[in-house]
Order: sequence, then C-alpha cells, then structure tokens
Amino acid sequence: MSATIHPETVLRELSDLWVSLGKETDPGQSSGVLRACTMTLMAVAEEAEDPSDVWSVMAMLMPEHPSRAIVIRFRQSVDREVSARVFSQCWMPFGHRRQICCEQIEISASDASLCDLPAVIVPLAVSDLPVILWCRGARLFELPDFALVAQIAHKLVLDSAAFADPAGILKRLAGRSQTDQILGDLAWTRLTRWRELVSQIFENRSYCARLPGVSQVKVEFGGERPPTSAYYMAAWLVDGLERAGAKPQVSWQPEPGASPGLTRVELAGANGDGLRVSIAMTADRERQTAQVHVDSLSNLAVFPLDNDYLLLREELSIPGRDPIYDRSLARAALLASGKK
Amino acid sequence: MALENPFQDPRRFERRIPECAVVIFGANGDLTKRKLLPALYRLAYERRLSPDFAVVGISRTSMTDEQFRDRMCASVSKYLEDSPFDKEIWSGFAQGLYYMSGDVADPKTFSTLAERLTEIEAQRHTNGNVLFYLSTQPSYYEPVVKGTGEAALAAGKGWRRIVIEKPFGHDLESARALSDKLHEVFRESDVYRIDHYLGKETVQNILAFRFGNGIFEPLWNRRYVNSVQITAAESIGVEGRGGYYQEAGALRDMIQNHLLQIMATIAMEPSATFQPDAVRDERAKLLRSIRIMKQTEVLADSVAGQYGPARIGGADVAGFRQEPGVAPDAQTDTYAAVTFFVDNWRWAGVPFYIRTGKRLPKRVTEIAIQFNAAPHAVFGDNGDGTTPNLLILRIQPEEGISLRFLSKRPGAGMNLRPVSMDFNYGSSFGERSPTAYETLLLDAMVGDATLYTRQDMVEASWAVVQPIMQVWDTHKFDFPNYTAGTWGPKAADEMLARRGHTWRKP
Repeated sequence: MSATIHPETVLRELSDLWVSLGKETDPGQSSGVLRACTMTLMAVAEEAEDPSDVWSVMAMLMPEHPSRAIVIRFRQSVDREVSARVFSQCWMPFGHRRQICCEQIEISASDASLCDLPAVIVPLAVSDLPVILWCRGARLFELPDFALVAQIAHKLVLDSAAFADPAGILKRLAGRSQTDQILGDLAWTRLTRWRELVSQIFENRSYCARLPGVSQVKVEFGGERPPTSAYYMAAWLVDGLERAGAKPQVSWQPEPGASPGLTRVELAGANGDGLRVSIAMTADRERQTAQVHVDSLSNLAVFPLDNDYLLLREELSIPGRDPIYDRSLARAALLASGKK
Repeated sequence: MALENPFQDPRRFERRIPECAVVIFGANGDLTKRKLLPALYRLAYERRLSPDFAVVGISRTSMTDEQFRDRMCASVSKYLEDSPFDKEIWSGFAQGLYYMSGDVADPKTFSTLAERLTEIEAQRHTNGNVLFYLSTQPSYYEPVVKGTGEAALAAGKGWRRIVIEKPFGHDLESARALSDKLHEVFRESDVYRIDHYLGKETVQNILAFRFGNGIFEPLWNRRYVNSVQITAAESIGVEGRGGYYQEAGALRDMIQNHLLQIMATIAMEPSATFQPDAVRDERAKLLRSIRIMKQTEVLADSVAGQYGPARIGGADVAGFRQEPGVAPDAQTDTYAAVTFFVDNWRWAGVPFYIRTGKRLPKRVTEIAIQFNAAPHAVFGDNGDGTTPNLLILRIQPEEGISLRFLSKRPGAGMNLRPVSMDFNYGSSFGERSPTAYETLLLDAMVGDATLYTRQDMVEASWAVVQPIMQVWDTHKFDFPNYTAGTWGPKAADEMLARRGHTWRKP
C-alpha cells in the first residue's frame, strides 16, 4: 500500500485557510486576522502517543513563539505511507479585537517513509525563518533515516533523559555539536532552575571570593547510574569552579529509594573546612521545592513543575548556539565515559 | 580584582539583582504602595531578587516592622498588575521588609538609619550596598540628601545610589540648584533621576526598532520624514490633584521631562555601544540640538489650553477651574502643544509637534512619523492615492508599532487605499511585559543608568521649555479654551495648519 502528499497541495490548503479566516471576520471590523510567524516548529512523535499531548504544547507555545507548526506522527510499519492535513489555530488575546492565527500541519507517516519526508517538509518550511525540530522519542532518533529529517532543522531539540544509555547519548550529542546544527537537550534545560540557584549564591561577592577553595563536587541521584542531568550538572559546576581557580574532584552518590534523576549537589572545601553549599530538589504533584544551604544559612525556593511547554519555551528563546551548553556537553560526555 | 561569578548564564538566567538594601523615604506614600512595593514584590516573584535583599521604609508615621509588612501586603495584593499574589512568596519577601519612623529634618533619623542598616547588613548579608529612593515631596529632597551625607551614609564598603522622582526643579535655575545639592553628597554617576516613561517597553523598543534593523535608519532623516507628532493624551482630569497641578501645568509636568525624552529617543543618533553613558550622551546631544525659541516665536509655535466643563457620556464633567483646590481664575495649562525643530543635519526643517493634555477624548500616548508622499502621483487622484506613509509607535494603552502604506483596492481599476500593518507587543508575544517601575528599579540596583536622566539632559530640556514658560507666565490666556472631551484648543490645529499639517486623531 502506498500514499503520498504533495507540498503544493498542502500550501494551497493553507492559503485557502487564510482566505476563509479573513472572510469569517466581521465585515464591520477593520482588524481582520493577523498572521504571525517567527519560525517553523516541527515535532516528531510516535503515532501511539495521544496527539493532543503534542498539539497542546504547540498551542501553548504559539502566543510567545508564533510559528508554522508541523507535527509528524510515526507508526511502525514497512508500508511507505504519508498523509497530511492542515488546520489553523486562532486565539483572541484578552482585551484585543484582533485574533492571532497560526498554521498547523499534521503529517502521518510510517517508519519506512522517513526517507520520503525531506522532500515534503522542505517546501513546507517557512522561507527565511529558522526550523526547529523537537524529537519526542528515543526510538525515532535511533531510526536509520532520522538524520535525513534532522538535517533540515537549524536546531534539534531532544530529551537525553529518555535514552537508556546516558553515556552513549552524551557521546553522540557531543559529536553532533561539532557540526553546524544547534542542539538543545531538555535534560539540560531542566537544570536551569538548579543552575540559577547556584549562580544566585555566588552573586554575593563574599561567597564568590571563596570559590577557589572548593575542592569537592558531590552529585547525588536516584536510580542505578547517574542520569545525563547528573553528568551535565557536574560538568557545568566543574567548568565554573575551574574558571574560578579551583581544582575540584567529582564524586557520585546514588540515593536509594529516590526517583531516577538528579536529587542533590554539594560543593565543599577540603577536609570539610571552607565554603559548604548544597542544593536538594524534591517535587510533589504541584511544585518543585529546592532546599538551599550555604554554610549555616538555609533558604527554600519553590518552582512550578517542569513540563514540555516550559522546557521547550526556554529552548525556543535561544535560537543561536549556547556556548555554555556546548562546553558542558563536551565535558559531560567525558565524565560519563569515565575520563575527567 | 574581585572574582566574577563564573556561574552566570545570561542567555537563560534572568538579570539578577545583587544583594542590597533599598531605603525608601516616603514609605507610607502612594507611590510606594501603588508602584514601588508591587514592583519589588514582582521582582521577587520572578526570582530576580537576591535572597540577601532588604527594604527599609521610612516615614513619619509610627509603625513596627510587622505593621509595615501588613500594610505593604495589603497594598501589593491590591495594586499588583496582571500578576498573581502568592502568599508563600510574599512571606519570604516580607522577611526582608523593615520600617523606621523618623522626620527627615531631624539628624537623629539618619544616625538611627545608619545603625539600622548595619544591623540589617549583618542579618541579610547586603554587603553594604544601598539604594536610597526618594519617594517624597520634592521639598524633602534637600534635607534627605543633606542628612544622608552628614550621617556618612552616602559612602560605605558597597555601592550607594540615590533615585529621585520628577520634578527635577521647576525651572533651569532650580534644577541646577537641586543638582548642586545632590552633588555635595553623591557623585552624578550615583544619581538616578527616574522618568518612568523611559522604562516602558515600547520606548525601549524604539531603540531596538531603530538600531537593531537596517531598513529604517536610512529613512530616518529630513529627506524622507515630513513631520513627527508625539501625543500624550489623558481622558481624566486632575483627579483631586488640582492644588499640585495648578503649580505645574502640562508643559512642566509632561513636556519638559517625559515627552522631550521620548523625542530625544526618536531623534538621537545611534550610539557606538549600548553602554549607559554612550546612549545618554546621544540623548543629551539631541536635547541640546533642539532649537530654543525666541520670545517672539513662542505664541506662534506653542499653544496653551485649559479645559472647560462639559457633559460626557451623560455625566457632567467639571472644568479645571471648578476642580477642588483650583483658583477660579487659574491660568494653568492643562493642555500644551509645541512645535520644536532640531538644528542638526539629520532633522533640519522637520517639525516635531508635541501635545499633551488632560480631559482629551481618550488616553493614548503615541509617536507618529509621517513620511513624505511619493514624489509623483503615478496613479492620479484615485482614492487615497496621495496619503503619505505613516509609522506609528504606540506607547499606551496598547504597546505596538503600525505602518500605514497604500495598497490596491481589490477589483477593476487602480484605486488605492491605505492599509495598516500592525505589530502588537501584547498579542505578538504573549509574555507579560514588566512594568516601568520593575524595569527601572532593577536597572538602578544593577547599576545600569541607560534609562535614567542625567543632569545635562535635565538642564537641556529645561533650557528648551524655559522661554515658553516665561512667555506663558506673563501672558493672560482666555481660558478655558477647549471643552473637556475634545482634542484641545482650535489654536493647536491652526499651529499645524500653518505648515500644512493636521493633528492625527489617535
């Protein structure tokens, strides 16, 4: 069985959609619809996933990152089948008379048709604007022809936490970061709150002046082996400490009974003297809570729970290269491979 | 050299406020309740504030720290704009709120403040950084600055800065005198003169629009720009501030500061960098390039107005002279319109029309840049074929940018009509914009004075309006000369008509 789609047909349907949206506008209003676009945002997901999960994230992103959204849903099949439908999503910002609309294209494809997709996607991408690809599954990233789709994107965003082998995926990502393609890893994005808390402590000049004396970085995690987030965190801390003149040693500590992931980090001076900083993060159903200790002082910070929308929103706001991430990725891959 | 924090990540982390204490004089006043504390709380909510942060409120009212916290809690939850009030975040924030009562004329107030700051520094690790905020009547500026200096509070192991609110004097001479007093205690680089208009997102966006894009700047000159209109209209009257307003008037209250600063932002040359002084140098240079009117030109190129009573929306609206606290023969300008020219190569001959007023039909602040019409009407007089292009930068109530250009009307024949291409800040980006006070307080605490007014800018703008004030002060106007709810006096229309222009109806 075989089915194909023609990009021109999809584009014509999009164009018709805009015409009909324009006609729907109240003729008494001079406002009409406003078409906004800052990028092509592509998501690849498993067909088995509930499509509303992906679309709801895309919809939430639209007000801040208006884009042409393309969702490609893959099913495991040897038939080379591709089909598409177009629709739009409009919203009326509170207190405004004009509605904002964004284009959305949903493509259904089989694994076997992956190699056919670039010819469809390239014409559908909005000219002169960046293409961001969000890969929602480890299996999709591992498909032999995935690189053909990935190469269309200026930035590829994935979640290394979904991969079974942390060292393996970090090594592959570090290799990819040497290319022109920009990478985003949601496992790294999840660390922003942690990293902000650390940075905030050292905004205070008196603590900052004590950084060269830090000799130990202890990373605690749930699960059997350190997750990618633990390697990233250690890499980032070591990088910062070295730039402050410290020569820290990293130790890894599993926390029995904790859910998989990073649970606590600690910075300390040699033999227990000097500065001692620790941050431990816990989460319940509503929020994350960070317990921060700096010497004898303690502080509590609360954050909303991470979700795909918040993480992706942060990644979309950094369209260019992120040298801090690139540096941390390179070091994290080394740490995960057992090299310093 | 002090070690830089190696963990900063400006791409992902919000700009952070360093550890410091903010001392607010006039802590029981309206500005503190409505603007300052809500802005500080919002910064705490956004996790911008360092945990080592404190606020010390000072006013004459006797209160404990706890009572001050309760009062501020009530104000913040009441005046917080489009933000949720989170009790848990408030309780963390409130731990850093302190209060002391004191009379600023009494030197003991400042010695007590010094002791209090030392205690707070030990508790909150503020490292000696202090921002003094004068949220008082201007008559208290001098005693506060003097008291601060005498108690040696203006220098310490950290930085010390002072923020003052307008008016910065009531004329050129008093503005200089105020600066002299400030400079006896603080260096000019530590003086932050706040103009909340400059903290508005769209005013900052003017710089991004002009200097971040390559296509507009080549058109931004006398060759392509026909005229510029800056409008700051308010639909309300003096709202119980008749006594104050009677002394100030629209020219002093709005044009001398806010609107001339906006004009400078629109017309300044690009600065070499975005460093505070580089930007402020260019703004100051522009203000000094505004042609100072001769006394004989004032009545032709400026119009004063005052609103009279009217019935608006079925309700009677008092005229200015009928407002409480206003003299029945007051000569105060509740409306001012001025034609300015900039004497430099870029803007020679381009009129900048500025108007502001109370009781105008709607609340709106915008800048309209009118470009020259196409040199030859190829399409003849078909429809609106001669309408010039217009670029409108909207500051309030809906921040955004619109470009008006001509398009063919669908159908047979070559009929043109103007269409508007709009960029709306709020709806194009769903993110909440920070309030002007959030932006400006954060800037003062991180030491970024780009959006603050410098002494030379204040003096230059007073020099521009002084001749107008002098003529207006001696002239007897036939007030009221516009009805509340209209776009101002007829004379303002005539002022533009002489140069072939008309006011926009925003």
